[in-house]
Amino acid sequence: MATLRDIRRRIKGVQNTEQITKAMKMVAAAKLRRAQENVISARPYARKISGLVNHLLTDELSGTNELLLTRQTKKVLVVVLTSDRGLCGAFNTNILKEAVRLIEEELIPQQLEYSLFCIGKKGFDFFRKRDYSITGNALGVFGHLKFTDALSISSEMISGYLKGDFDKVVVVYNEFKSVVRQEIVREQYLPISFDNGEKVKQSSTDYIFEPGQKEIIDSLLPKHLQSQMWRILLESNASEFGARMTAMDNASTNAKDLIRSLKITYNKARQAAITKEILEVVSGANASKSA
Amino acid sequence: MKVFALEIVTPSKLAFNAEVVSITVPGTLGEFQVLFNHAPIVSNLEVGKIKIQTQNGETLHFAISGGVIEVLKNKVVVLAQSLERSDEIDTDRARQAVERAKQRLEQKNQIDVARAEAALTRGLNRLKVSSLR
Repeated sequence: MATLRDIRRRIKGVQNTEQITKAMKMVAAAKLRRAQENVISARPYARKISGLVNHLLTDELSGTNELLLTRQTKKVLVVVLTSDRGLCGAFNTNILKEAVRLIEEELIPQQLEYSLFCIGKKGFDFFRKRDYSITGNALGVFGHLKFTDALSISSEMISGYLKGDFDKVVVVYNEFKSVVRQEIVREQYLPISFDNGEKVKQSSTDYIFEPGQKEIIDSLLPKHLQSQMWRILLESNASEFGARMTAMDNASTNAKDLIRSLKITYNKARQAAITKEILEVVSGANASKSA
Repeated sequence: MKVFALEIVTPSKLAFNAEVVSITVPGTLGEFQVLFNHAPIVSNLEVGKIKIQTQNGETLHFAISGGVIEVLKNKVVVLAQSLERSDEIDTDRARQAVERAKQRLEQKNQIDVARAEAALTRGLNRLKVSSLR
């Protein structure tokens, strides 16, 4: 049986934890709001660029740019987006599980080579410990997310793809659905495909092209990839804060429950101690009276 | 004055959205101006300055570091890699960037020549545009 002092100490400890998780929840909520705003304000650019590419891309032109051509796949680059820090519930676990499943159950049985590109420290640590082959990483980008991060990551992928280091790039990340819901999405990044609902419609307008239609497409595609990468980074970032907020909210609720049950135990023990003392006093008095 | 709708979008935000009289942009084949009823055009943009004439006769200058312009039926969309209005440019930062780029070019660090040159043009462009008010 725990003594009164032990229980009191325990309550104090849980209360401290509750304070921390509450504070973390608040911080995550504030950061989440900013991240959400970023996601929303990045949308027009991404939409306009993919709209323009869609508009200008004719059938004969789509064969001329290597970023659009599907080639025989031998090696796949798997890009995994995790967070840099923990304490965000199942956020990282789910994404890592999906990435491992993709590699172990789909790529390896098909005799495809793979390599990993880890964005976020948690994923990097996970795969390094398990001896997966990692070709690149971007750690610490989520501390202060900048468009230049998306720029350097996407250019690394484009140059690797054009050099033939890999024939396909797949991104696994958490898509931000709502504060309490993140969805794991697997997306083909390279070669670019426009088959996800956006039907390629032929434009009937006669544009003047400066310098030329092909040159414009050639310069638009990398920009499209940059804005896609930027979108993915922002989505993952917002999801992370959403997940952390939910996790910390749960932790605070659990701490409260724990405190309540500890308080009941404490009061019971206190009552028992008082009763015992009274009993001792009374029986002591009786004994001296009868003596 | 006839006006048309202009939208300038950067990766981080919708930077400009209003009806304007004219816009002058640095196209790859030379600078050109778009007025009301301009023919449909799509053009790549270089590092340079954008000049906008607003409805109330104001002239705005922006520094742009590359992008694309699409003109279609009096709707103009500019997709800019980055965009700053002339009075918002951080001249100190631009000057530092120019210095850094110059140093790097002097060191002849083979790998980064292209990047340093691009940074140099961007920095010089910012400084040039910031002097226009």
